Amino acid sequence: MGDHTHDPFMGDISDMIEQEFQLREAQKQRPLQEQERKSLRLEALICYRQTLIDLQTQMWKDEKKAQLRSANIAFQKQLLQLKRMHGRLKVKSTAQQEEEKRKEREKKLKLYVTARDVCFSKRKEGVFDEEALQLTQQLLSSNPDFSTLWNYRREILMHLETVREEDDVQKIYESELSFVERCLRQNPKSYGSWHHRGWVSARLPRPDWARELSLCDRCLSLDERNFHCWDYRRVVVRMSGVAVDQELRFTDRLIGSNFSNYSSWHYRSTLLPLLHPESPEPPSPTPQPAKASPPPSPQTNNHRVCEEQLLKEYELVQNAFFTDPNDQSAWFYYRWLLGRAEREEMISCVYVSREVERVAVCFSKPVHARAVGLMLVLDGQPQRVEWRSVHPRLRHSPVWVCDLPPSTISDIGNEHNLTVHWTEKHTRRDCALYSGRTQSWCRDSATDQELFRSELSVEKTSVLQSELQSCNQLQELEPLNKWCLLTIILLMRALDPLGYEKETLAHFQTLKEVDSMRSAYYSDLCSKFMIENTILKMEYAEVRVFSISDKKLSTLCHLDQLLLVTHINLSSNELERLPPQFCMLQCLEVLEADNNSIEDLEGVYQLPKLEEISLKNNKISKMEDLAPLASCPKLRRLDLRGNPVTQMANFLSDISELLPSVTELLL
Amino acid sequence: MGTQMKDVVIKPDAPNALILDKHADYIAAYGSKRDDYEYTLSEYLRMSGIYWGLTVMDLMSQLPRMNCEEITEFIKSCQHECGGISASIGHDPHLLYTLSAVQILTLYDNVQAVDVDKVVEYIKALQQEDGSFAGDKWGEIDTRFSFCAVATLALLGKLDAIDVNKAIEFVLSCMNFDGGFGCRPGSESHAGQIYCCTGFLSLTGQLHRVNADLLGWWLCERQLPSGGLNGRPEKLPDVCYSWWVLASLKIIGRIHWIDKAKLRAFILACQDEETGGFADRPGDMVDPFHTLFGVAGLSLLGEEQVKPVNPVLCMPEDVLRRIGLEPDLLN
Repeated sequence: MGDHTHDPFMGDISDMIEQEFQLREAQKQRPLQEQERKSLRLEALICYRQTLIDLQTQMWKDEKKAQLRSANIAFQKQLLQLKRMHGRLKVKSTAQQEEEKRKEREKKLKLYVTARDVCFSKRKEGVFDEEALQLTQQLLSSNPDFSTLWNYRREILMHLETVREEDDVQKIYESELSFVERCLRQNPKSYGSWHHRGWVSARLPRPDWARELSLCDRCLSLDERNFHCWDYRRVVVRMSGVAVDQELRFTDRLIGSNFSNYSSWHYRSTLLPLLHPESPEPPSPTPQPAKASPPPSPQTNNHRVCEEQLLKEYELVQNAFFTDPNDQSAWFYYRWLLGRAEREEMISCVYVSREVERVAVCFSKPVHARAVGLMLVLDGQPQRVEWRSVHPRLRHSPVWVCDLPPSTISDIGNEHNLTVHWTEKHTRRDCALYSGRTQSWCRDSATDQELFRSELSVEKTSVLQSELQSCNQLQELEPLNKWCLLTIILLMRALDPLGYEKETLAHFQTLKEVDSMRSAYYSDLCSKFMIENTILKMEYAEVRVFSISDKKLSTLCHLDQLLLVTHINLSSNELERLPPQFCMLQCLEVLEADNNSIEDLEGVYQLPKLEEISLKNNKISKMEDLAPLASCPKLRRLDLRGNPVTQMANFLSDISELLPSVTELLL
Repeated sequence: MGTQMKDVVIKPDAPNALILDKHADYIAAYGSKRDDYEYTLSEYLRMSGIYWGLTVMDLMSQLPRMNCEEITEFIKSCQHECGGISASIGHDPHLLYTLSAVQILTLYDNVQAVDVDKVVEYIKALQQEDGSFAGDKWGEIDTRFSFCAVATLALLGKLDAIDVNKAIEFVLSCMNFDGGFGCRPGSESHAGQIYCCTGFLSLTGQLHRVNADLLGWWLCERQLPSGGLNGRPEKLPDVCYSWWVLASLKIIGRIHWIDKAKLRAFILACQDEETGGFADRPGDMVDPFHTLFGVAGLSLLGEEQVKPVNPVLCMPEDVLRRIGLEPDLLN
C-alpha cells in the first residue's frame, strides 16, 4: 500500500476534521476535559463520513481511485484509534451510546451500499475495468463470502486476458493472488477466497505451484486443521505432480510435531493405499476412461495397505497413543488399520424348498435383485420368475426370494438342478435338489469365509498378539482409557473371538461405565459381537438352531447369516423390535423371544414355515402391531402372555379375526 | 503435548426451559431490520436466511406471521434466465439458494411460482462428467452441491432429470477411512458434509452403501462432556452440529448412540433469554441459522412443543407428507 501521509487529499480531510472539532469545542463555551475532547473529535470524524461518501462519488468520476482508497484507509485507521481510546476513557449513558452506534452504522451502511450499487450497475452495463477491480476488492476485503463479486472479478480478469499482453496478464493475476492471500489471512475459512485462488492459479500463464505449496505450508502451520487449505493443497499437489511419498513425509513431519492432528492421519489414509497397495490393481474387464471415474475411496476393497507397511504404521500409531492415550485421532486411524477388507462379492447361499416351491438367494452384500441381472436356471431352462425382497421396506437386501410356477418341483420323486446367475458380477451358484429330499441348499458359511475375523493372514497372528500385548500394557497404566479398552476388544476379536468372549464382555461393561454417554453404542456393538460368536458356535455344531438368550442383546444384525435357521431363541434380552431384516429367516419354524421389550413385529412377515411364536412378557400394546403375523400362512401357536395388548377390550375376537389359522393362543 | 479437551462449561444459571414465544418474536422481528449494517452484509445468503427463518417458524407453528406474498415475489424476482435462483436481487444464481428457494416455496405449497422446468434444466446443466455437481457456472465442486441438486429435484419430483448413478458414484468416492464424507474425493470428514452425503444417499435410495456402524461411532464421538456436539475431532461444540450430527445419526438409524438428555441441556443453554434465538454456544450472539438448527435438533430429540422435523430435508414432516416425499432412513 505504501505511505500515504503526504497525500494532499489526506491533508484536506485532516483539516476538515480539525475545523469540525474546533467548531464543536467552541459551541461548548467552556474548558473541556480530555475525555470530552476525545469524544468531540470522534463526533467530528463521524460527521465527516458523509462528506467522504460524497467525495467518493465525485472521485469515481474523476478517477482518483488511489487517493480515494488511501484516504479511506487512513480514515478507517483514525476512526479505529479514536474508538479504542473512547471506549476506554468515557462511560456514557446507554441511550447516548446506542444513538452514536446507530449513526455510525447508518453511515457505514451507506458507504457499503453505495459501493455495492456502483459495482452492480457497472456490471450491468458490461464495464470490465480496473476501477471495478478496486471496488470489488474493497468490498470483498471485508466480506469475502459475497460470491457474486468474485464472479464479477473473474469476468473482469477474463476480459483483461483478451486485451492485454501475456506479461501484463501474468502481472495482473499475480497481484490478484496477493489480494487473495490478504483475504485468506483475514479469513482463512472463506470458501469463496479459496475457490478463487484455485481459479486464478489455474489461469496464470506461468503458474508457480511451488509458491502455492509453500502458501499451504504456512497456512497449515497456523492452523493444521484448516480443511479448506488441505483441500487446496491436494489440488496443488495434483496440478504440480508432487510425489505421493513426498506428501507422506509431510504428514510424518506434522504428526511428529503433534500426534493430535486428525487431518494428517486422514491424509495418510488416502496416501498409503496409493503408495503401498495391498495387491496390484485387478485387471478390469471393461477399462473405464480415467477422467470419468473418480478416484477410489480408502473404504473400498482394493485400496487396502500391504502388510509390510501396515506393521510400520502400527508402530507409528503406538508411539502416538502411548504418548497421549486420550487423543482420539490415532485411535480412529488404528481402527482403520485393523479393519478387514470388504467381503468378496458373491452369492453366498442358494436355498430351495420343494414344499413351498420357493428359491431364496443370499448375497454377500445388499443388492437390488431386479437391477443386478439375477437369473434362475432350472434343469437347463431359464425360468421366468419374479424376484422380490423379503420385505417391501428393504429395497436393497442381501436376501431375495422367488416362487416357482406351481408343480415345477413338487414331485418328490424328481431330481432337479438349479443355478442362480448374478450376471452383473459374472458369478453363479449351483444347487441340487435330490429325489426324496424336501429341501436343499448350497452355501459358503460364515466360518468358511472367516467372516468375523481380521483379514490379516494366520501366519501374522503373532503380530496381532504383540499389538494386543502393547495395548494391555497401556491399559495397566491407564485402566479407564476408553480408546484403549475398545481397541483391546477389537484385537481380541481379530485373534480369537470365542476364546476371548468372557474378557470382551467384561471390557464392554467397563466401557459403559467410563463412557456412559455412549453406552447404547457399546451395547449395540457388544450385541453384534455376541451374535457373531453365536453364529460361529452354531456352525461349528452344524445345527440350524440359533440360541442367544440372556446376553443383554439390544439389537439384531447379521440376520442374512441365519437364512437356514429353523429355531431361534432370543429370550431374556433387551430387544425392542423384530426389524424388517428378521424375515430373512426364510426357514424359521419356531420363534422364541420371551422377556424382551418388543413392541414392533414388522419383521415377522411372510415367513412361509413359521408355526410357533412365543412372545411372553413383552410390550406389544396395539392390535395393529400384530398385523404382520397374519402374513405367515402356517402360524398355529402364539403365546402373548404378559403383553399389554391382551388386556384390550374385544381382544379375543379381534385376534381370532386377524389370525384365524392360530389354534393355540395363550393369553 | 497432552490433548486438552476443547469444550465449554454450562453455567448453573443457563436457560434450561424452551422459550418458544421469544424465539418466534426474534425471527418475526429479524426481517424488519433491513437497514441494519450486519443484515446488509449477509445479503449474499439472504435466500437461505429466509429459509432458516421460515422453517423454524413453521416448526413452531408460527408460519402465518411471515409475509408470504412479499417473500414469494422476492423469490420470483431472484430467478434468472438460466433457471437458477440467487440469494438476492442483483446476485448470481447458485445451487445453494436454488434449494433454499424451492424449500421455501414448498413450505408455502407454491413451487409453481417459479419456472420449475427451468430450475430443473439449471440443475441438470451443472452435473459434471464424473457425476459431481458444480455450485454454479464457476465450477466449484462440493458434495454439498450434490445434496442441493438431488434435494431440489426430489422436492420437485424430478430426480430422474440427472444421471443419478453417476452422482451416487461421485458421492461414494468421497467416503473416508472413518466412514465419513468430505467436500471432494480425499477431503477430510466433516459433520456438515456427512449430513449432505447421507441425506443425498437417502434421497437416492443408497443408504445400504454407508458403513453405518463405523460412521455412527465417529458421529457419536462428536458428543463432548458438556453434552454439545462438535463437527470434527478436537473442535468446540456448536448448536448447528446438533443438527448435522444428529440428523446424520437419525438417517443411518443410530440416533440412540448419543446422550439425548445431555444434548438437550446443551441446546437449551444456547438460548438467549432476553432477545430470543439460539447462539452457537452458551452466551454468544444469537442468529437465525443457529435458531433453526437448535429448534430442529430439539425436534429430532423428541421435543413435543415443536413439529416433527424431517432429518434429510430439514423441513416439517407434515409438509413432506403433503407432497408425498418420504426419504429413506436406515433402521
